[in-house]
Amino acid sequence: MQRSDVPDLERCPECAGRIRENNAERLCEQCGLICTEDRIDPGPEWRSFDDTNESQRRTGAPLTRSRHDRGLSTEIGYGSSSRLTGRKRRQMHRLRREHNRARIPTKADRNRVYGFTEIRSLIGHLSLPRSVQEQACSLYTSAQKANLFQGRSLEGFAAASIYAVCRILSIPRTVEEIVHEAKATTNELKAAYDALNRELGLPVGPIDPTQYLPRFASKLDLDTSIERHAKQSVQRLLENRLIGGRNPCGVAAGCLYAAAQHLETSVSITQADAANVADVTPATVRSTVDLLGECPMN
Amino acid sequence: MELDRTLRRDISREYFSKERLAEHHYRSFNSFLNRGMQEVVDEKATIETDIGDKEGEEPVHVELGDVRVVTPRVREADGSEELLYPQEARLRNITYSAPVFMEMSIVKGEEGDQRVVDSTETKIGRMPIMVGSEKCNIAGFSDQELIEIGEDPADPGGYFIVNGSERVLMTSEDLAPNKILAEYDTKYGDEIQVAKTFSQRRGYRALVLCERTRDGLLEVSFPSVSGSINFVTLVRALGLESDEEIVHKVSNDPEVVKYMLENLEEADVQTKEEAIETLGKRVASGQGKNYQLKRANYVIDRYLLPHLHEDGVEEEDVRINKAHYLCRMAEACFELALNRRESDDKDHYANKRLKVSGDLMRDLFRTALNKLARDVKYQLERANMRNRQLSVNTVVRSDVLTERLEHPIATGNWVGGRSGVSQLVDRTDFMGVLSHLRRLRSPLSRSQPHFEARDLHATQWGRICPSETPEGPNCGLVKNFAQAMELSQHVEDEQELKRELASMGVEGIPGLESIARTTADD
Repeated sequence: MQRSDVPDLERCPECAGRIRENNAERLCEQCGLICTEDRIDPGPEWRSFDDTNESQRRTGAPLTRSRHDRGLSTEIGYGSSSRLTGRKRRQMHRLRREHNRARIPTKADRNRVYGFTEIRSLIGHLSLPRSVQEQACSLYTSAQKANLFQGRSLEGFAAASIYAVCRILSIPRTVEEIVHEAKATTNELKAAYDALNRELGLPVGPIDPTQYLPRFASKLDLDTSIERHAKQSVQRLLENRLIGGRNPCGVAAGCLYAAAQHLETSVSITQADAANVADVTPATVRSTVDLLGECPMN
Repeated sequence: MELDRTLRRDISREYFSKERLAEHHYRSFNSFLNRGMQEVVDEKATIETDIGDKEGEEPVHVELGDVRVVTPRVREADGSEELLYPQEARLRNITYSAPVFMEMSIVKGEEGDQRVVDSTETKIGRMPIMVGSEKCNIAGFSDQELIEIGEDPADPGGYFIVNGSERVLMTSEDLAPNKILAEYDTKYGDEIQVAKTFSQRRGYRALVLCERTRDGLLEVSFPSVSGSINFVTLVRALGLESDEEIVHKVSNDPEVVKYMLENLEEADVQTKEEAIETLGKRVASGQGKNYQLKRANYVIDRYLLPHLHEDGVEEEDVRINKAHYLCRMAEACFELALNRRESDDKDHYANKRLKVSGDLMRDLFRTALNKLARDVKYQLERANMRNRQLSVNTVVRSDVLTERLEHPIATGNWVGGRSGVSQLVDRTDFMGVLSHLRRLRSPLSRSQPHFEARDLHATQWGRICPSETPEGPNCGLVKNFAQAMELSQHVEDEQELKRELASMGVEGIPGLESIARTTADD
């Protein structure tokens, strides 16, 4: 449950907050501690002017995990000077076509291309950051290398990789949400995720209900004070070990509902509203509220 | 008459008001959002797929419907979505863009027996929104409200915010399309007369040239045909057959008629069929005869003077109009040869058109939509091959359109190979911003002299500032609007204009269903 359990992900050494990078330094989003500074400027070392058509670039784009060939491929272009004519042009056209075919040499590569396209489309639909795409693609590749694809669906693995990365990075996205945009069905996703989790040992623990709070609060149009109060309630439940086995979405919604009631602001939400945004039944919300009642306030 | 001092002050205050300073930008962008986008989608109308080419498979295509843009919003990594205001976009280095939705339906089955498999309005991507436009979240805010959300009430807007940087689209000054320009040229040391038209329709631009060579013969050249074609041959192929008709359509002037008769004497074809055959030999030499004819007809309807095409007009009428248009070009050449007219002035402001942000975004949206359509086609074919259920949501990848729209604005590398179209808004001071938003750029290369193009032209009076232009290589090529400049927009509905022209006695306008003639005694 502790956040610091999650390896692979850099946390602030002082407060374990998330680390953000900009051009010159890497800093903690929470306490503002600067972890590293004065890095090498990765930008171009030349200036380009409007009139010069020649690019002064000497390298290509950086290597990426999100392409089946890691972005390292050549393309037969059309040349900058005179256009080819007649036989030569037809020959180049044939060469170009054959070259493009040869870019995907094996069936495994083709499956990777297919999976990566699906991942890219999902990332776009879900508005997830690029880093998630990179990680999901590399997870997909690992699954392929571990021979997990046999008998399971590629679409399922594409969706499951994204879900897994969201879990690893503590990004609160639900299975339903991903399935809604994906080509895969819930069963395909679950089968693939189980395989990933079992065979590759994903560094994930139970979901912390607090992750869902900001999102539900903004959907329900609730004040930050209510959100803060709900967060304390969740913490209290966690400390008393009362959450085990409950749907984290339902717990978050219940705490928000209870907090809104408790603070008695002008905005009053119903249990049905809270249940609706969390995609759970009102009964789930109610049970959390009851649980909060049992649990004494400090 | 001398104006009262206070009146003068009032007038200049009106002209300097915030609404007017970048008005051309958001007026153009608004009309793009309101009409332009839908027009581009309607041009595309359907996405065809290769599904159904195989035996025993039903063909599938996608029909595109209404397109809709909402106001800018941001979706956080945790999935919550909130309205986005410009200042937040600037500070968080994100793009001020709004989701675009489009109705799409997947249709399965042969002609006559079609059924819709899936029909939904789906998010196709994100469109960067101009600050201050109708779809901007700050539209209609009072000064106090603007201050509360961190906006400057004096900021004129008219730019985009992409990845946190403010980008303004440079207005570009192009030669007017669809207009005959007559001028002298030299070929092999001899002076010849040329009539030029940049014919433009739906983003496709074709240069049509009509030359009078040194031996007095007229030749036409247009894209997809290498070299040039005899004028008489082309006009005959378009349906003007008899000698008399051709001469009459060019001019009634005896001297021009004489020139025209010389041309007709040299003509090597007499009928429409022969003419199309000859054209076929030029456009598809070495191919079968049937294919040659097909290709010739295709080239005429597709590449020759595309701007004369219009929805709902018979191909036959369009061809006759094309013939008439070529005759006007011929007349211009002859008149130039006879010194009846002077060559047209390319620097005259009547021969210029300005491309403002809306027009540029339209070009961008068209190519982005084509790219999206190609991707949808591919995804559909893939899904079909893997025996998946075909659904709109899963075949549309929203990052395709978004990337195609954002990347050019972020880098300035526009479609069609133009660069430097978008520039970082000059925030040196407030005046810098105002000047930058009202700047326009000529596409002429700055490394060449182009003395005439750089000169101040009399027709720029009241439109272009006579003194504000940079020193150095860009002198006279980069200009700024005059304060009182008003930019007119193109008409929404040309039908009304045509009806008016028809009622004034213009004959042969195609595409007019009914011309209600009002008689004098009515």
